[in-house]
Amino acid sequence: MTNSNKKWKIEGKEFDSRLMIGSALYPSPEIMKNSINASGSQIVTVALRRQSAGEQGGNPFWEIIKELGVTVLPNTAGCHTSKEAITTAMMAREVFQTDWIKLEVIGNQYNLQPDPFALVEATKVLIGEGFRVLPYMTDDLVLAQRLADIGCTTLMPWGSPIGSGRGLMNPYNLKVIRKQFPNLNLIVDAGIGKPSDAIEAMELGFDGVLLNSAVALAQEPVMMGEAFKYAVYAGRLSYEAGAMQKRDMASPSTPTVGTPFWHQFA
Amino acid sequence: MKISVNGEIKEFNSERLMLNELLEEMKFGKGVAVALNETFVLRTSYAKTDINDGDRLDILSPVQGG
Repeated sequence: MTNSNKKWKIEGKEFDSRLMIGSALYPSPEIMKNSINASGSQIVTVALRRQSAGEQGGNPFWEIIKELGVTVLPNTAGCHTSKEAITTAMMAREVFQTDWIKLEVIGNQYNLQPDPFALVEATKVLIGEGFRVLPYMTDDLVLAQRLADIGCTTLMPWGSPIGSGRGLMNPYNLKVIRKQFPNLNLIVDAGIGKPSDAIEAMELGFDGVLLNSAVALAQEPVMMGEAFKYAVYAGRLSYEAGAMQKRDMASPSTPTVGTPFWHQFA
Repeated sequence: MKISVNGEIKEFNSERLMLNELLEEMKFGKGVAVALNETFVLRTSYAKTDINDGDRLDILSPVQGG
């Protein structure tokens, strides 16, 4: 049995790829476009920032994203209070014409750690306003419970701080969240540095990974996008296939029956 | 009157200005979202939103994000 044709459903939509990718930090718009294509990702994060007056020539970045035909996931990056995040989410909904929001409320500037209290507050308001909130959160079990209680069906705990490339700092916490919330979509968001980190997240049973710097800052972003495509796929297959149990003792894989006499043990 | 637009102080001669007129005058294209004094304003409300001296406007458009 293979899952190669299985669709993944998140927030009411179906996708082939479980990789979500960011659109920032690429060396050029062309490399961004090619990297996203190579990654196979169908969900791309975007943001909003102040526009200069008189920019009548359209928005080249936005035109490229539209041409890709992907589902956009706007973020509230840079918001430090629930009020800022709520306002940004409302603005994003109007510009991007989507109810999806990657909700970020930063609580500490050093490691860009999400503020769990403001996150819950903003989530509650936005769900009430009809948003589908995908909260960027710490790997805290109680916070996960609070967010699930108020209606989140997707949770996005960090692997490690944004842009750090440190991989999964605390696989135990992620594993516990997975175990406690078997029916929610769980995405490792932030901290993924290498395809092997993505495989680890997927082998923990996470439903997907969201990353940006790992591809955009690679020496060859397009090639790395492709590497992540296979990593996420392999990690998911591995999880579904069920890995063997680790053993302390060696156990021969070649049959021992019929071993030539010089290898026989008494 | 003086209005802060994306953090810059702009001076307008008009006594009374609606949000849609200001956006047009400043040549902001479509595809932006607006917050007035940090509160989101629906696009459908631009023509009935008064802009007053000292107001702060944030006019945002799509950019790259992670």
